[in-house]
Amino acid sequence: MKGIVFTEFLEMVEAKFGLETVDNIIEKSNLPSQGIYTSIASYDFNEMVSLITQLSEEVGLAPGDLIYAFGLYLFSGLSKSHPEVIQNYKTPLGLLYSIEDHIHVHVKKLYPDAELPTFKILEKTDTSLSMVYTSSRGLYRLAHGLIEKTFEHFNGKAEITYELLKEDGTEVKFDIVQYG
Amino acid sequence: MDSKEVILLKKALERQKKARQQAERILEEKSNELYDVTLHLREANNRLENLLNEKTSELDGVFINIIDPYVVMDLNFDIINMNSSAKEFLQVDHTEQRVNLSRFIHSDFTDYTRESVNSMMKVGILKNYRAKININQNIVKWVQINASLIYDKQRNPIGAQGVIRDITQEMEVKKLLSDQKKQLNLIIENSPLGIVLSSNGYIVKANNAFVKMLGYSENELKDLSIEKISRPDDPDEFNYHIKQMYAGKLNKFTSINKIIRKNGSPILAKMMLNVIADDKDSLDYQLAIIEDISKEHEAERKLKDSENRLSTLISNLHTGVLLEDEDRTVALTNQRFCNIFLVPTTPEQLKGMDYSRFADQNKFHFKEPEAFVERIEQILRDKKAVLSDELEMADGRVLERDYIPIYSEGIYKGHLWAYNDVTISKKHKKNLEVQREKYSSIIANMNLGLVEVDNEDIIQMVNQSFCHMCGYEEHELLGKRACDVISIKNDEIIREKNKKRLNGESDSYEVEVITKKGDIRHWLLSGAPRYNESGAVIGSIGIHLDITNQKNLELQKEKLLGELELSNQGLQEYAHIVSHDLKSPLRSISALATWLSDDYKDVLDEGGKQNLELMQEKVASMDKLIHGILEYSTANSAELDNANVDLNSVVTEIEEVIYIPDHVQLSVPRELPTIVADRTKMHQLFQNIIGNAVVHIEKDKGLVEVLWEEEVNFWHFTIKDNGVGIPKKYHQKIFDIFQSIGENERSTGIGLSIVKKIIDRYGGRVWVDSEEGAGTEFHFTIKKN
Repeated sequence: MKGIVFTEFLEMVEAKFGLETVDNIIEKSNLPSQGIYTSIASYDFNEMVSLITQLSEEVGLAPGDLIYAFGLYLFSGLSKSHPEVIQNYKTPLGLLYSIEDHIHVHVKKLYPDAELPTFKILEKTDTSLSMVYTSSRGLYRLAHGLIEKTFEHFNGKAEITYELLKEDGTEVKFDIVQYG
Repeated sequence: MDSKEVILLKKALERQKKARQQAERILEEKSNELYDVTLHLREANNRLENLLNEKTSELDGVFINIIDPYVVMDLNFDIINMNSSAKEFLQVDHTEQRVNLSRFIHSDFTDYTRESVNSMMKVGILKNYRAKININQNIVKWVQINASLIYDKQRNPIGAQGVIRDITQEMEVKKLLSDQKKQLNLIIENSPLGIVLSSNGYIVKANNAFVKMLGYSENELKDLSIEKISRPDDPDEFNYHIKQMYAGKLNKFTSINKIIRKNGSPILAKMMLNVIADDKDSLDYQLAIIEDISKEHEAERKLKDSENRLSTLISNLHTGVLLEDEDRTVALTNQRFCNIFLVPTTPEQLKGMDYSRFADQNKFHFKEPEAFVERIEQILRDKKAVLSDELEMADGRVLERDYIPIYSEGIYKGHLWAYNDVTISKKHKKNLEVQREKYSSIIANMNLGLVEVDNEDIIQMVNQSFCHMCGYEEHELLGKRACDVISIKNDEIIREKNKKRLNGESDSYEVEVITKKGDIRHWLLSGAPRYNESGAVIGSIGIHLDITNQKNLELQKEKLLGELELSNQGLQEYAHIVSHDLKSPLRSISALATWLSDDYKDVLDEGGKQNLELMQEKVASMDKLIHGILEYSTANSAELDNANVDLNSVVTEIEEVIYIPDHVQLSVPRELPTIVADRTKMHQLFQNIIGNAVVHIEKDKGLVEVLWEEEVNFWHFTIKDNGVGIPKKYHQKIFDIFQSIGENERSTGIGLSIVKKIIDRYGGRVWVDSEEGAGTEFHFTIKKN
């Protein structure tokens, strides 16, 4: 998993719960990396699982909700570090539609070893999008947060519903209807 | 800042430092990697460039030496290099002069060329560019060019190279082929014959005519085969042929088949199947050419039918026919001919016989044999049609003979003799004439005047009687308008009747006619339309009967009736006056007798007194008689004053007025109706009958009942009593005037005759049912108005 996800995650924890919580979950997680992350390197996904599990215990919130909150946070982090990517799009649906064909291609350019989820478009109209999220990580709540934030970024509103095609969340269908 | 926080921050800082070092390490590694890759690439690039240069020069040689024209141009279309073949083909040499390729572009292909070049600039190559080019003013060639861009080291395009192929001939061949294909298609599609191409038995192509013939669409046909839609007359033979054909042993065969159309109806077709073998001589296609011969077949059948009919007709003809050819050999004859001339053979046996001696051999049949032979010879010499020659035969038959020479394109080919036995029709004609004469003489001599006119009233025919009736001669009438010659007093009737006649109506009416002499005669005229054969009205026939004498008698009768009526009236008045005049002396006598009786009652003895009483009685009786006559005479004369009359009140009145003996009861069991009638007359009527009834009862208890019934057109009243009854012989008589039965002084014998008169006036009937000693029923009816 890319280092930027870890750095952004820890930043979120720090911002939301304070430095002490950051330190606690790192200490408790017993991480091979010892909690030292740089955005350009990659780390074991299990470290992220440990971190989230620990955070969940620490603050008493469900891991899913934490992942969703992280999704919301991560969008801002990513847009700050790669504003040129987002500037390419005029509408949130346009951006979502291009994740697979454009954004992930750029990610692969920088990090050929990155393991990315896939977004398969089922149907697209001017105001709606239907796609399937597939990833062995099952971080669909993260994707949910990112999608949510995408609309917020463009000052748009949308109703986002999802349906688990596989119980472990490795395949999830998102139905997005933009309104307003 | 407390120590815990410091510790935390220190820890975090430590992590950040380590992360930075980690990142720096990664970047250094990447940097090293990049340096190595760059070195490697440069080296490879150099190697490739050398390789390219070598190859290019090698290739240059190749292109220069290849047979096809090869041209290299810069981006302005100027030729940089070209091989000798290109020089020859384009008839230019870039080493001698600057050659720009754009001048070769044919005006029809400028847009195509522009697009092609643009596309080459984008993708780097141009494949199969096909266009015409102008070599010079006279020569135009078709070329196919394959080209690619040439780049410099910086991958900027600097020119293009291309191989030109002269495809002029190929295009010409192609065009020729397509033209030929078009022509062939035109022929096939417009052919009236169905043409089908099948492969392995399945139809792959069929022309319009075939599609129309069968009603299948071309697509539907693709699932069918010739064998499937064929119903050969001899399936075994057909299938054998097909098998042979598939086996390659038979190249073509023709068969006449029924073919089943889509709608299931068959057509008769002549089918020619051909095998088109491919190069290897194995079966490839079967070509079937199909001709719809249903119509021909039908025509042939009809021809045969009509021949059959004709020969049946001839053999059954009532005319004896003999057809001879120019050598007088019998070509055709029939049974009738044999019968007429008593030839003992059949017509078939006569065919082909020489008949030049026919006349001589058969002349004995005729009354004048020599004339018969001569006539035939003459006719044969003239060779002109002769119709209706009449021949009398020895046995009394009469023949009619026609001779018709037969020419074909002006050349005499023979002739036809037609003999008709007209004996019977001759007899008929004679009979008909006899009949006509018979009827003519009837018409001429009958006592009724007969006239035929056409629709314009022009006289066509009159008979003798009519001439007598009107006084004109026949020639004075024929051809004239009937109404101009015969003056009819009320001639508008005639016109009206003639109009009706046109509609086919016939009727009778009377007219007054002034004869030629000026006498006025009455005719009864009966007219009927005349029709022609087709049933159209062409005029009318009038039958006239002079009824002047009858008419005169009728007039006389009418006059007498008038006089009678007058005298009747006079008589009535007379009766009226007389009865009045008689009444006053009677009253005087009555008064005088009364006085006498009063004044001289002491003087007169019993006999005198009795005589005076008798005198009084007789006078009263006389008075009654006169009153009766008066009523009788008025019963007929006075006008009826009809109004609603309640008969109940009438009967009540009567009950009050008349004398009813004490032992008699008058009863009305059912209330009487109210009818429309003259109240006075009804009073008279009921009073006379009831008055009669009540006084003729000798039983201890008398009963008189007034009964009634309503009938459809009449009121039926019955006055029933239980009196003495009326003997049967008087049942009729009682209604005559002055008839009275019995010696009752009260009866004048006038009452019932008045009853009868009133009932007559009301269109009713009166009769009596009576049994002597038991009672009487008086019935009468009064017509409802």
